[in-house]
Amino acid sequence: MTTTTLTIPRIFDRPRSASGIWSWIGTVDHKRIGTLYGITAFLWFLVGGIEALLIRTQLATADSTLIDPDTFNQLFTMHGTTMVFLVVMPLSASFFNWFVPLQIGARDVAFPRLNALSFWLFLFGGLLLNVGWFTGDSPSGGWFGYAPNSGITFNTGSGMTFWAIGLSVLGVASIAAGLNFVVTIFNMRAPGMTMFKLPVFTWMTLITSILLVLAIPVIGVALIQIGSDRLYGTNFYNSLGGGDPVLWQHMFWLFGHPEVYILILPAMGIVSEIIPTFSRKPLFGYPFVIFSGISIAFLGWFVWSHHMFTVGLGPAATSAFAISTMAIAIPTGVKILNWMATMVRGSIQINTPMLFAISFIAMFTIGGLSGVMHAAAPSDAQQQDTYFVVAHFHYVLFGGSLMGIFSGIYYWWPKMTGWMLNDKIGIVMWFFTLLGFNLQFAPLHWLGLDGMPRRIFTYSSDQGWESLNAIASVGGYIIALAILIFLFNIWYSRRNKVMAGNDPWNARTLEWSIPSPPPHFNFAEIPQVQYRDDFWYQKYPEQHEEGHVHAIAPSGAQDDDDMMFDPETGAAPSGGAEDGHHDDHGGHGIHLPDMSYYPIMLAAGITLGMGGLMAGNWVIVLGGVIGMWGLIGWSLEPVNDPAPDVEH
Amino acid sequence: MAQQAVTEYHAEVHDTTYNTSTGLSNRKLLMWAFLGSDVMFFGSFIATYLVYRNRSLVGPYPENIVDVPITTISTFVLLMSSLAMVLALHYVREGSKNPGRFWIFMTAALGLVFIGFQVFEFWTFVNEGLTPRTNLFGTTFFILTGFHGAHVTIGVLWLLILLFGHFKGTLRSDNSLDLEIAGLYWHFVDIVWIVIFTVIYLVTANDGAPPGAPPFLHG
Amino acid sequence: MNSNLLPRFPLRRPLLVLIPAVAAFISACATGNPQDTFDTAGPVAEDQANLFKFIFWIAIVVFVIVEGGIIWITLRYRRRSDDEMPKQTHGNTKLELTWTFIPALIIIAIAIPTIRSIWDLAEPPSGEPVMTVEAVGHQWWFEFRYPEEEIVTANELRVPVGKNVIVKLQSQDVIHSFWVPKLFGKVDMIPTRNNELWFRADEAGEFFGQCAEFCGIAHALMRFRVIAQPEAEYDAWVAGMRRAPEPPAAASAEARGQTAFAANCSSCHSTDSYRPGAYERELVTQDGRWTGWLANIEGARIVSAPNLTNFGIRTTFAAGIRDLDRATLVEWIDDPGSIKPGTRMEAHAAVYQGGDGTANLTSAQVSDIADYLLSLVPGEAAPDDSANGSGDDSGGDPVELGQATFAANCTACHRTDSERLVGPGLAGVADRAGSRVSGLGVDEYIAQSIKEPNVYIVDGFPPGMSSFAHLSDAEINGLIAYLKTLN
Repeated sequence: MTTTTLTIPRIFDRPRSASGIWSWIGTVDHKRIGTLYGITAFLWFLVGGIEALLIRTQLATADSTLIDPDTFNQLFTMHGTTMVFLVVMPLSASFFNWFVPLQIGARDVAFPRLNALSFWLFLFGGLLLNVGWFTGDSPSGGWFGYAPNSGITFNTGSGMTFWAIGLSVLGVASIAAGLNFVVTIFNMRAPGMTMFKLPVFTWMTLITSILLVLAIPVIGVALIQIGSDRLYGTNFYNSLGGGDPVLWQHMFWLFGHPEVYILILPAMGIVSEIIPTFSRKPLFGYPFVIFSGISIAFLGWFVWSHHMFTVGLGPAATSAFAISTMAIAIPTGVKILNWMATMVRGSIQINTPMLFAISFIAMFTIGGLSGVMHAAAPSDAQQQDTYFVVAHFHYVLFGGSLMGIFSGIYYWWPKMTGWMLNDKIGIVMWFFTLLGFNLQFAPLHWLGLDGMPRRIFTYSSDQGWESLNAIASVGGYIIALAILIFLFNIWYSRRNKVMAGNDPWNARTLEWSIPSPPPHFNFAEIPQVQYRDDFWYQKYPEQHEEGHVHAIAPSGAQDDDDMMFDPETGAAPSGGAEDGHHDDHGGHGIHLPDMSYYPIMLAAGITLGMGGLMAGNWVIVLGGVIGMWGLIGWSLEPVNDPAPDVEH
Repeated sequence: MAQQAVTEYHAEVHDTTYNTSTGLSNRKLLMWAFLGSDVMFFGSFIATYLVYRNRSLVGPYPENIVDVPITTISTFVLLMSSLAMVLALHYVREGSKNPGRFWIFMTAALGLVFIGFQVFEFWTFVNEGLTPRTNLFGTTFFILTGFHGAHVTIGVLWLLILLFGHFKGTLRSDNSLDLEIAGLYWHFVDIVWIVIFTVIYLVTANDGAPPGAPPFLHG
Repeated sequence: MNSNLLPRFPLRRPLLVLIPAVAAFISACATGNPQDTFDTAGPVAEDQANLFKFIFWIAIVVFVIVEGGIIWITLRYRRRSDDEMPKQTHGNTKLELTWTFIPALIIIAIAIPTIRSIWDLAEPPSGEPVMTVEAVGHQWWFEFRYPEEEIVTANELRVPVGKNVIVKLQSQDVIHSFWVPKLFGKVDMIPTRNNELWFRADEAGEFFGQCAEFCGIAHALMRFRVIAQPEAEYDAWVAGMRRAPEPPAAASAEARGQTAFAANCSSCHSTDSYRPGAYERELVTQDGRWTGWLANIEGARIVSAPNLTNFGIRTTFAAGIRDLDRATLVEWIDDPGSIKPGTRMEAHAAVYQGGDGTANLTSAQVSDIADYLLSLVPGEAAPDDSANGSGDDSGGDPVELGQATFAANCTACHRTDSERLVGPGLAGVADRAGSRVSGLGVDEYIAQSIKEPNVYIVDGFPPGMSSFAHLSDAEINGLIAYLKTLN
């Protein structure tokens, strides 16, 4: 029992309030953390979007003097960094948090306090990255931070140091989150839910988490290296001391290419849920979609040098990386065809989430095709570092990831809030998003092929790029309009609430089997899973080819996919009883981890400690004290108090 | 079922089969996954060290400064600490109080001795003119071995906390998992050192001035 | 999936229109804009463009099938009644294998010409004549060196039409990327690495290029051009670059400009690459300017700078962002930062310090310097290189001759006060010269320092000054006489 922990003197009273700001600061509930991720990331999305609009405004005309070059460099550096690390990754994390436990029939993630720590580190790391907007010295070395241009010799301000420190803090957050979801998905599945009954979104979360766990340390090391060069005068990327600028590129892209799949795989998972739901058909070729995801993630480790075709690697290495890069098109193509095949002979409901999901396939395909063009190294020598590349990765990251994320927002909104987003307004938003997106990014293909390099703050009218740039900028403003419509939709739908009920879409996975919004404990009874899309076959048992053959699986022990659940709980699938001998807390049914202040303390300590490298030693000491306090408090604090739990 | 996560925090699971989908404890799985992550971390630093081998523009070079015999001793000490760790876990599981305590203490103490050797080595190097700023060898050497030393230090602190817990009775045979997880970490850090020792002290220890760079003159 | 799919295909007609439209659009894609990658003028760019077009057409087919398929499926299978329940199909292994196999075939079809092209373009075709130039990236301009012709110039790379050119790529500071879309795709210029590319211009013309790797504040303004000329014109240019300009007439604006240039600009800009030995000296000097800047980034007053030899025949200046005309040149000399933000010249050169960033010169001086620079065009061809200053004009005052010789040869590295540039300031040199090397008097020491500068190096200075033994005795004696007057 926890008596031993009780004897340790308490530093704080444990947070208990179920509402108000302290309930959010102390929360360890995966759904609340998911919401925090979502709101924070959306705010960063607005910041990154404003940066993009400023960039587009500057480039709308030739020889523009609206924005000075240094500010422009800061804007595109922060736009890229923000959208990758503070928007797409945490928006995906928001869905991981909300729906992985719900989809696998769990009551929380494996490590709820670690989960809270991830969020707070993400929030504080993002603030560190953006400190420059207040000091007037934002990072200006590009999101890719190529040495030696990002070194202290050529970039003398504090911006790139904050960039290295802020990204390191975000990296810790990502690794912690990745570890948490790996353990959650392997270990917390409901009885009967074997790996090949997992929803595809959960599968893609697992793959993404593994990529995070393995890829982030590489950029972490690179950031430590450039950070220590900038702060302490080491020689890693000091070309005068023999440091090799190309090593930075290898390190950055060895992380950076898996990162691309970290950004896109969650969106692939999202549409793999939405397309079957609104086609009323199971996902076509489930194992092929899963294995494509795995092979994309695996191959993603062997293609990084295609970002470096112009570095002069020699024809042998260039050929090898060209082939490995092209090979990724195969599993990607398989996924696209499977999504299309899912829709074929389906009953396709045209609504906002489905339109976004279909647009995801359509736009991602374009990005994939231009990706194959980059893989052809000789032709890439013309495209590298031009607007053609900008067009390509926006088709993948906006047309792909963000379309998928918006699709997910519309799809899961009723589950998260209990009420629907207005579909008509949603369709208007979708229309303007798709229109603005294509106006903004399609012309960039031609600009790139017409020789317009990236990252230039202006161009001369004799270069002939003005009209396409003007069109692109108009597209940018239309995207902004679409986002405003989205915000209006939230406001409007909240005023005119249409309640959702448990299952507004007639969906297939477990999260729809519980109330909207889900109760704190998620599942009153932990579900006993028999099938992939289990909830669907609960609703339509007659549809399963062998539905009546094994109506109730007696025990998951027969499943050979993996080492499945404890036969004990498998044999006793009925609700509270399964708490059985674990429940030492006076017999009430469901126990969830109690709230805790220590994750935010530890996160603040880590952030202050890192930020102190720039701000001064006393800040490091302060961070150390707060961090140790948080860590010790965390270790001594029992997950549950033996006192009556006010939460339910 | 989702309970298991919760249950585990209580450190009151009584046997080694866990009520999870895989039957593995969440915390143990977490540690394994973390070690996977740490492999990439050290791998990147070791790769950097190797890429920059023979590329220092000025001395001291490894042949001028690396003392293989002394580090062989400290490596032996660290290897012995892994043995001590195995014994500690064995006795704690068995419930033998005093041997358990003794071997946890020995593990931490041997770790501390290793750290002592490292501090001595760093101090000697700095006195002989090699700092992280001197050349690429200094930069890559100090950062790589420094991060390893930080891992060992964290391990020592962890073991001391566990030792404290053993005295207080919070570490017992029925929750020896706490020690087992620390052991995983400890063995991992030990294995990483074997790789670092091989790379720095066996493979590159005799590297001198690369072509075009001036020789290093002592004093 | 359905044999009568095509006849029922609702988008068939628009597609039949769309495909030729796309084709027309692509062929119209050769916009004729200065950096159009399709409007190629040489084999490298052409091969790269052809590979692109090959993949592009395959991509268009895939694009039409997938996008058309998505739209068709969405319309064809849209929900018509709420209680529709389609058959629950889970997959089809044969189909999966088919559509794994087909993309694999497409990829192989693309990979073969890609690999061929990678190896083809790696080196210029063997057996054809080839010339080598060196391109050095600087923040934010390109330096071009012709090691065989001993020419150093900037931002305009002249090459003969039809000749394979190997460009050796270096960078002095950060990573730049060397790119002329109509001639060749980019290759990066990376410090510590020696990259190279080759190209051939098959037609005469000016081809625009631009730095393609983000390199700091003026990255957008780092342009250059390749000027491909028929062999004879190119040869004439080479010969011209080897000849000195006519010296300015006494008391002319150009002469005043020359003096002002020598006093304010010549520490960073060389103008004399036509002299024997000047090529090697420029390389060493440029390196010295760079390391000097690096050693003291805040306080440096010397930076790497374009060589202005025979500047008057350039068509552009300021890293190719302005056409060369007098008015723009005056504007540039007065306030370069207004044309190219971040330029090192304004940030560091002494003449721009202490005020609002404009030159500490009168407008007359600025105008004189512009006149002087525009007058730097190759002089009349002279068989015995009088520009080098033969010993014949020894009739004049040696101090005067020495001063002129100093202005032309030494000011890149030496100042006449006690401040250090690359080399020491020479004020008071007469007082110290006698005590440097035992056995050498003042005159002998100075003469040795000019002719064999590396025999004795004063502590704290880098070796690297090249020999000026090619100067005539009269010039050297004049220099000695002049230097002894400095205090």
